[in-house]
Amino acid sequence: MLVLTRKVGEGIIIGDDIKLTIVEIKGGAIRIGIDAPRSKKIHRQEVYDRILEQNRAATSWSLDDLSALSDILPQSKGDK
Amino acid sequence: MNKIASRFGEIEYDPASVLTFPEGLIGFETLREFVVMPNEKEGPLFWIQSVEDPQVALVLTDPTNFFPNYIVAPEEGERDKIGIDADGQCFALVVVSVSQQRDITLNLAAPILFAPESNKAMQVILDNSEHQIQTPLPVVKDVAAVAE
Repeated sequence: MLVLTRKVGEGIIIGDDIKLTIVEIKGGAIRIGIDAPRSKKIHRQEVYDRILEQNRAATSWSLDDLSALSDILPQSKGDK
Repeated sequence: MNKIASRFGEIEYDPASVLTFPEGLIGFETLREFVVMPNEKEGPLFWIQSVEDPQVALVLTDPTNFFPNYIVAPEEGERDKIGIDADGQCFALVVVSVSQQRDITLNLAAPILFAPESNKAMQVILDNSEHQIQTPLPVVKDVAAVAE
């Protein structure tokens, strides 16, 4: 991993189209400004990780589960 | 018709009706093609099976079956990825998690945007939203019990 030391107001350029700026350091937290194309997905690491784990966990179900749940859940509003 | 293996046995599908995730799903970035499987019973749940990995199948639902006010509008970059313009039709679907006790939760924080006209979809993360990754179903009062 490349590690760089930056001060408030300084920045980092990644490739042609991503720019990070250190906006503020306060009480152990660092505010980072990110300029990037809208097509780049930017997420907080822990949120991304939790969704990844939830997706993986969601693959362990059975057809019996689906059948039993369909008996108790309300009917769909209609096909789309 | 093509055939693929799944956890539930062999599945026949029409390659023309495959649902494409150009960027995969979160945690399954390499899996791009899924077959949409209707549930055998009536109800709000259906499932998608990965063409590329027999082990990966997810239960999905239209969240407005349970949360009528849940609306997600795709941003421009997201519309590009699922191949629609600003007027294109787009539905939000969500991944359903089934616990061992068969309690289910909906991942309202990371919906799947689905464009019927292109048959493409992508999972997005709603940052800074109040939606939970494990949203329980709304409590429905038992009408029969109340009437007694």
